[in-house]
Amino acid sequence: MKSQPNSPQANAKPFATGWVRHVFSTDHKVIGRQYFFLSLAAVLVGAWLSLLMRIHLVWPKAAIPFFGEIKPENYLAYLTIHGTLMVFFVLSTVPQNGFGTFFLPLQLGATEMAFPRLSAAGFWTTLVSFLVLMAAFFVPGGAAGAGWTQYAPLSALANAGPGQALGTDLWLVSIGLFCLATILSAINFVTTTIKQRASGMTLMRMPLTCWTWFVTAILSLLAFSVLTAAAVMLLLDRHAGTNFFVPGGLLVSGKAVEHAGGSPLLWQHLFWFFGHPEVYIAILPAMGVTSHLLSVFSRKPVFGYNAMVGAILAIGALGFMVWGHHMFASGMDPHAGFAFSTLTTAIAVPSAVKTFNWVATLYGGRIRYTTPLLFSVGFVSLFITGGLTGPLLAQPSLDVYLHDTYFVVAHFHLIMAMAGLFAIFSATYFWFPRMFGRMMNERLGRIHFWITLLGAYATFMPMHLLGIAGHPRRYSDLTGVQYVAAMLPLQKFVTVAAIVTLAGQLVFLTNLFWSMLKGPAAAANPWECSSLEWSRPGPSLPQSVAGRKAVVNYGPYEYGIVGREKDFVMQDDPDTGERRSAI
Amino acid sequence: MPTIGEHVEVERRPKLGGGGPGKIPNPRGFGGGDDGDRDRREDFRSPKQRLNRMRLLMGICLFSVTVLFVVLTLVYLVRLVSGRYDPDAQRQVQDWIPLNLPYVQLWINSLLLVLSSVTLEVARRTMAKKEEFAVMGIVPPAAKREVPWLGITVVLGFCFLAGQILVWKNLQHQGAFGRFNPSRPLFFLVTGAHAVHLLFGLAALLYAALGARLWALRFDSQRIAVEVTSWYWHYLGILWFGIFALVHFARA
Amino acid sequence: MAAALRMVLALITLGCVYLFVAHPLWFPAGVSAESVALDRNFAVAFRVLGALFIAGQLVLALVLMRRPATAESKHWYGNWRIEIAWTAAITVIFFWFNISGGRLWSHEIAPHSAAGATQVEVTGAQFQWYFRYPGADGTFGRTDAPRWAKADEGNPLGIDPGDPAGRDDIVATQMVVPVGHTVELQLRAQDVIHSLFIPAMRFKQDAVPGMDIHTHFTPVKVGVYEIACAELCGIGHYRMRALVRVVSEEEFAQWLKGQANR
Repeated sequence: MKSQPNSPQANAKPFATGWVRHVFSTDHKVIGRQYFFLSLAAVLVGAWLSLLMRIHLVWPKAAIPFFGEIKPENYLAYLTIHGTLMVFFVLSTVPQNGFGTFFLPLQLGATEMAFPRLSAAGFWTTLVSFLVLMAAFFVPGGAAGAGWTQYAPLSALANAGPGQALGTDLWLVSIGLFCLATILSAINFVTTTIKQRASGMTLMRMPLTCWTWFVTAILSLLAFSVLTAAAVMLLLDRHAGTNFFVPGGLLVSGKAVEHAGGSPLLWQHLFWFFGHPEVYIAILPAMGVTSHLLSVFSRKPVFGYNAMVGAILAIGALGFMVWGHHMFASGMDPHAGFAFSTLTTAIAVPSAVKTFNWVATLYGGRIRYTTPLLFSVGFVSLFITGGLTGPLLAQPSLDVYLHDTYFVVAHFHLIMAMAGLFAIFSATYFWFPRMFGRMMNERLGRIHFWITLLGAYATFMPMHLLGIAGHPRRYSDLTGVQYVAAMLPLQKFVTVAAIVTLAGQLVFLTNLFWSMLKGPAAAANPWECSSLEWSRPGPSLPQSVAGRKAVVNYGPYEYGIVGREKDFVMQDDPDTGERRSAI
Repeated sequence: MPTIGEHVEVERRPKLGGGGPGKIPNPRGFGGGDDGDRDRREDFRSPKQRLNRMRLLMGICLFSVTVLFVVLTLVYLVRLVSGRYDPDAQRQVQDWIPLNLPYVQLWINSLLLVLSSVTLEVARRTMAKKEEFAVMGIVPPAAKREVPWLGITVVLGFCFLAGQILVWKNLQHQGAFGRFNPSRPLFFLVTGAHAVHLLFGLAALLYAALGARLWALRFDSQRIAVEVTSWYWHYLGILWFGIFALVHFARA
Repeated sequence: MAAALRMVLALITLGCVYLFVAHPLWFPAGVSAESVALDRNFAVAFRVLGALFIAGQLVLALVLMRRPATAESKHWYGNWRIEIAWTAAITVIFFWFNISGGRLWSHEIAPHSAAGATQVEVTGAQFQWYFRYPGADGTFGRTDAPRWAKADEGNPLGIDPGDPAGRDDIVATQMVVPVGHTVELQLRAQDVIHSLFIPAMRFKQDAVPGMDIHTHFTPVKVGVYEIACAELCGIGHYRMRALVRVVSEEEFAQWLKGQANR
C-alpha cells in the first residue's frame, strides 16, 4: 500500500520553482498570510479614507497634504469605498479567509485544506477584485458614490452623479469577483470541515472557531450567490437595456431615462438578503475567536459549549430572515414590518446567550491578562454596547426615526466594525507566534489596547446623540441643513477622537512589523492552549513535513485541571485512564 | 503508531462541555473525521479520498446553484404577478406580455441536452468499469474501437448552447412586444444564467476529455472529473426542464 | 492589569451614562400628534437598554476579579439551568419590547380617515423638494416629468397642461400645512430615491421612483420646521433642505388663495 503510485512523494511535483512557487503557493499557511496582508492593505486604505471624511466634515476647507481640498463627490466616493473595503475586504476577509485558511486545517488536525488550489484561486481572485476596486479612483468621474449599498436607481443611471459611470461599473465587477472568490473559499471551508477532521475530532470536539468558520462558510454560499446575481442584473440594467431596477418616467439631469417597469425595491430586497447575513459572516468568526481566547486565558472550559454551538446555528439560520429591517422606511409593505421586527428581536436572543456565556466563562477563572485577552474583553464590552441598540432599531416605529441617521452609524460601527476589529486584533496577537514564529511585544500591545478601547467609545458613543438629534448620515457637508450645522461641535469632538484612535494604530503597525522581523522567537505553545494548531511544528514548514497525523482524544477546552504539572490537556494528548479521571 | 480504539466507554458527565473525553468514534462511521490515517493508510491524495472530497464539493456547489436559481425564479414570479405601478391610474397594472416561445427550437434543445446527459452517463460508466480493472492491476484489453463518449457529450453541449443562442436571436427579433416588456429580459436572465453554468460544465468536460493529451492528466483524475461533472451536468439538465416549465406555465 | 481593566470599564460606563444624561444633543421638541407616543416609547426603551448596558459592563468588570494565586480555575463546563434561565429572561425582556413597539407601529400605519385631511403630494428631485396641493377640485393633475417638466417655466413636476385637473394644482417649494389637521402625504421621486425626514414631526419616509407612497402625520404646533433628505441621492444630498410651515387654518386658507392667484 505504501508504494501507491499517488503517494505524496510521487505526486509532489512542484508546478513552479523559486519565488514563483512561494508566491503562488497552495500551502494554506502561505495563503492565510497572504489574505492577512491583503486585508491589512485594505484596512489601511479604508482607515485613511475615513480620516479624510472626518476631516472634511468638520474642516471642509482644510487642505490635506498631497490630496488638496476634498470635494463633495470625493466624499461620496470615499464613503462608498470605505464601506466596501471594510465590509468586504476586511471584516469578511481576514477573520474567515485569513485566519480561517491558516488555522482551520490546523485546528481540525488536517494536513491541508480540502482543495489547496481552490484556496489559492480564491486568494488571487480576491486580490484582483481589490485592485479593480482601487482602480476606480483613477477613472474619469472617480469611484462609485452611491454608498456601499448601491441603491438603485442612483447606482443604475450613469448620469445621476459623478462616479456613477465607469466607477460604478468597476465597483460591480469588483464585487462580482469578490463573490466568486468567497464562494470558492466557502466551498473549501465546508468540505474541509466535513471531510478533513482528524480521527476522533467529532463535530462537538471542534474548537468554537471551527464551528463559526463552518457556519460562516454556509452563510457565504447562500448570500454571495444572491449578491452575484444582483450585481449581474444591475450591470445588465446599466449596459444591456434591461429593466430590473429602474422604473419608467424618470427625469435625471434634465434627460428622460430610457427605462421602464423596474422596481428599486427589488434591488434592496436582493441586496439585503445578502447584506444581513453578511453582517453575521463578518461577526461570527469574531465570536468564535473570542470564545476561544476567553477560555484559553481564563483557564476554564468555555461555559456552555453546546449552547454556544446552538447559538451559532440559530444566528446562522435567523440571519436569512431579518433583511427587511433595513427597509422599514423604504416603502415596503408596512405589515411586513411586524414579521421582520419580531424575527430581528429573535436573533438578538442567541447573541445575548453568547454574551452571557462569555461572561460566565470569565467568571471564576485564573485570568491571564495578556494582550489577546484584553482585546477579547474589549470585544465583549463593545458587543454589549453596540448590541443593545439593536432591539431599539428592530422596532419599526423607532427605527423609522433613527434610520439613516448617525445612530445607525454608531450601532453598526460598534457592533460590527469595532467589535470585529477587536476580535481581529486579539486573533492577531494570539496567533502571531504561530503565523510568524515570533512573539509580539506585550507592552506595545497593551498601549494599543487602551488607546483603541477608549478611542472606539469616544468616537462612536457621541454619534448616538447625533442620530437622536436627527443628523442624517452620508452628508458631505454640515452647512446644508441648519439644525445639522448646529451639531458641528460634537462632530469636531468625534473627528478628534477618530484621529487619536487612528494614530494609535501606528503602535500596532510598529509592533506588527517590528515583531515580524525582530521579535523574540516563540515557544511551541506560548499560550498553553489546548487546540491542535499548537501541537504542530513551526510556521514555515511545508505541509508534507508538518503533516503529522493527529488523533484527538479530548474536547477543545480542557483547562483548569487540578494537580498536574500543566493545567490543561492537549486535544491530541494520549488518552490515559488516569488523566481522564483527573478531568 | 499508538494503538487506540480500546476505549469504548462513553463518558456522559460533561453535559455542556465541548465533547469532552470519551469514546473515539469509529473512523468509518459517523462523527469522527477521516483524515486521521489510522487503518486505511489512505493519504490526502489517494483517488478515493479525492473522489469523496470532490463529490462533497459538487454537492455544496449544487446547493449554492439551487439557491441562485430559486432566487431568480422568485424574481421572475414576483415581477410577473406584481406588474408595474402606473402613476396615472394610481395602481399596479399588468404589463407582462407572454413571449411567443419558439417551442420547436426549445424542444430540440431539450432533446440535445437529454442526449448529452445520456452520453455523459455512458462515458462515466465506461470509466468506472475501466477503473475497476485498474484497481485490480489489470490493464483492460484495448477495446477494438472506443467510442469517444466524452467528445460526443461536449459536442452536444455546444449544440445546446448554439440552439439557445438561436432561441435568443429569435426572441430578440420579436420586436412587436414593446421595449419594456419585462418577460423578455427575465427570460434572458434565467436562461442566460443556466447557459453560463453549462459553460462551466463544458469547460470541466473539455478538461477531462483533452487533459490526458494536453496536460498529462492521469486516469484517476480524469475519472474524478467525469464523475462529479456528470452530477453537475444531470443537475443542469433537470434545472433546464424546471426553467422550461417556468417560462411555459408562468404566463400572466 | 485586572484592576486597570476593571477601572477603565467602569469609567467608560460612567462616561457613557454621563454623556446620555447630560445629552448635549437630543430630540428636537416633538410637534406632531405621533411624537408623544413615540417619545414615550423611546424613553422606556432607552431606560431599559441603558440599565442593561450598565449591568452588562459592570458585571463584565466584576468577573475580571483577580483571584488569589493559589486558587485554581473552576473546571466548569456550564449549567443548563442557568443557561435556560438567562435565555428565558432575555427573551421575555426583548419580546416585551418588541410587542410594545409593534403596537405603536400598528397605530402609526393604520389608514386614516380622509375627513378634513390636507392632501400634499411630495416629490423629491435632485436636489429639491416640491410640494403639490390639489387646488380647489381636490384632485391632482396627471404628470409626465420626462415630457413636460420644465423647472424654469414653473412646471418642475411636469404637470400635463392638457389635464383639466392639473390646472389649479399648486406647486410650492415649502410645505405649508394647517395646524391640528392630519396631513396626508403622497410621496414620489423624479429621479432617484430620496427620503423625507422631518425630525420635529418624528417623520421619515423614503420617496421611491416608480412608486406612490401614502402616509400621514398630524402637526399640533404652529411653527417652522426643517426637512432634510435622509437617503443618499447624489452629490447634493446634504443640501436637499426644505421647510415645513405649520400655520393656523385661516392663514393656510389665505396662503392657498395667494398661491392660486399667482
